[in-house]
Amino acid sequence: MAIIEAVGLRKVFRSLERQPGLGGAVRALFSRTFVDKVAVDDVSFSLDAGELVGYIGPNGAGKSTTIKMLTGILVPTAGTLHVAGIVPYQNRMANAANIGVVFGQRSQLYWDLPLRESFELLRAIYDVPRARYLENMKHFAEILDLERFLSTPVRQLSLGERMRGDFAAAMLHDPKIVFLDEPTIGLDVIAKEAIREFISMVNKERGTTVILTTHDLADVERLSRRIILIDEGTVIYDGSLERLREEYGTHRTLVVTLAESYPELAVPGAELESRDHNTVRLRFDRRRLTAEALIRRVTERYQIIDVAITEPDIDSIVRRIYLEGYHEGVVGAPS
Amino acid sequence: MHRLRVMLNVYKQYWRINILTTLEYRENFLIWFVFTFIYHGSAVAALWIVLNRFPSMNGWTFRDMAFLYGMWMLAHALHNTFFSTVGDIPEHVRDGEFDRLLVRPLDTLFQAIATPGQVFPDELILAVITFCAATWYSGVVVDATFLAFVPLIVVGGALIDLAFNLVISTVAFWFVRVDALRWIVVQLEQEFTRYPISIYSRGVRLLLTFVVPFAFMNYFPARFFLHKAHEHAMLPESVGLLTPAIGLLAVALAYVFWRIGLNRYSGVGH
Repeated sequence: MAIIEAVGLRKVFRSLERQPGLGGAVRALFSRTFVDKVAVDDVSFSLDAGELVGYIGPNGAGKSTTIKMLTGILVPTAGTLHVAGIVPYQNRMANAANIGVVFGQRSQLYWDLPLRESFELLRAIYDVPRARYLENMKHFAEILDLERFLSTPVRQLSLGERMRGDFAAAMLHDPKIVFLDEPTIGLDVIAKEAIREFISMVNKERGTTVILTTHDLADVERLSRRIILIDEGTVIYDGSLERLREEYGTHRTLVVTLAESYPELAVPGAELESRDHNTVRLRFDRRRLTAEALIRRVTERYQIIDVAITEPDIDSIVRRIYLEGYHEGVVGAPS
Repeated sequence: MHRLRVMLNVYKQYWRINILTTLEYRENFLIWFVFTFIYHGSAVAALWIVLNRFPSMNGWTFRDMAFLYGMWMLAHALHNTFFSTVGDIPEHVRDGEFDRLLVRPLDTLFQAIATPGQVFPDELILAVITFCAATWYSGVVVDATFLAFVPLIVVGGALIDLAFNLVISTVAFWFVRVDALRWIVVQLEQEFTRYPISIYSRGVRLLLTFVVPFAFMNYFPARFFLHKAHEHAMLPESVGLLTPAIGLLAVALAYVFWRIGLNRYSGVGH
């Protein structure tokens, strides 16, 4: 059953047109012209309860505007929206009780006080029964290793510790849906992993629906099977990560370490991607040439020490889609 | 009923956090405390100096003026203690923190009011003491009417303050920065609550009665309790008891404006 149903969502902001320079700023004091900016043009998607979906797009694509409509902060200009059966902008408070929100760049914890105090406040705000609160606290403390710093003022926590605190804070009231906006931004590898572990647990064990917006596609690769790509306010791809990889990942790269440095280098059927001393990267279309055939061609011509094959990472695929747009059933055009 | 219990509980928690945060920065708190003393002390001293030269101002002696000031100070301190965080809304709109209030299952204005603003009831305690002293000093008769109406009048005065605080903060939904507007209103209030408004011209009196009704915070109630209605009796003495109603009306109007501002923030109709 769909827990989130968005049909033809559209959001237009009316803003003051700013003229450049000091003169423009002074002129703007007296005459104002407004411009309409379409932040979200036509976004439709449907999410089932328990899904974990990556909501991906470049800066200014309309990601956070969509999230703000789903959370009831903004009212859509057009379109219909249901979140757990509720229209967020008509019943903001009822919707708020169902959702949890983590803004990676902003904390909801009280800076000057021990972490514990913020949790106590949230317990009151969401009216979480005492027993349930203690149970959740125990569980989260275990997974996120909170016990060590529950009594430390938040301002003295590392970013990783603070983020873990923020995650627990967003989950205390057992929300049906959590919105995670850049949850791993600025974290080190270990903290990132801990957060991903937690997101995965929340999704699998508690069946919480998770919407994740991020620029770190490793988050998405690690966590979600489905991604929604948005660009210029419209959904340009909605489907599994595998399908995207299949459609765009027609090219592989053979990384060869040569025994000696050859001044001229060319292998038929492959394209020289880059070269660093004796290591060369050869890009090839796996539908035209097998890896085995390519290796044979290389060894026929050069002395090699080592080979490796790399798959295109999700980063480079998405980068290409941003630049070129998404085309259904695309045949990996050479870049 | 359930919702009310939740709100009460949240309010208690917010105050707990407020007190804990304030105590976390003891030095900062002590400086504020000393400042509060100096601020109100110098205001009273200024009145004393003026009235030392002229024994009375339009029939108001220093003793009367002390009562006038005490009354304003108490209402103002009540506002500063319980409602001052409404003034932080523009800052939260600017830095994006305001969105946090909107994703919580509580009324936005309630949260804005309840949010800890690092206030301690020090000013309020000082104001209660000052008011009691001023009442005794001015010789106002403390009878049943006084005891019944003064608490309501003080709350009404605080609501008038709140209404202005809220209106100014709401303007931030359109103009983002409202510092200039806030400064003007704060100055206006300080300037025109020190002295009986009967010393000002008719235009200013009308302004302070019907447009920015600061005169209801202290002048009209003080006129009632000090029995000074004979001068400039445009309105009868008993209007001094209307302050609670004026306060409620002002807050109601401010709240309507606030709702319009909130709609603007979430972009209704765009």
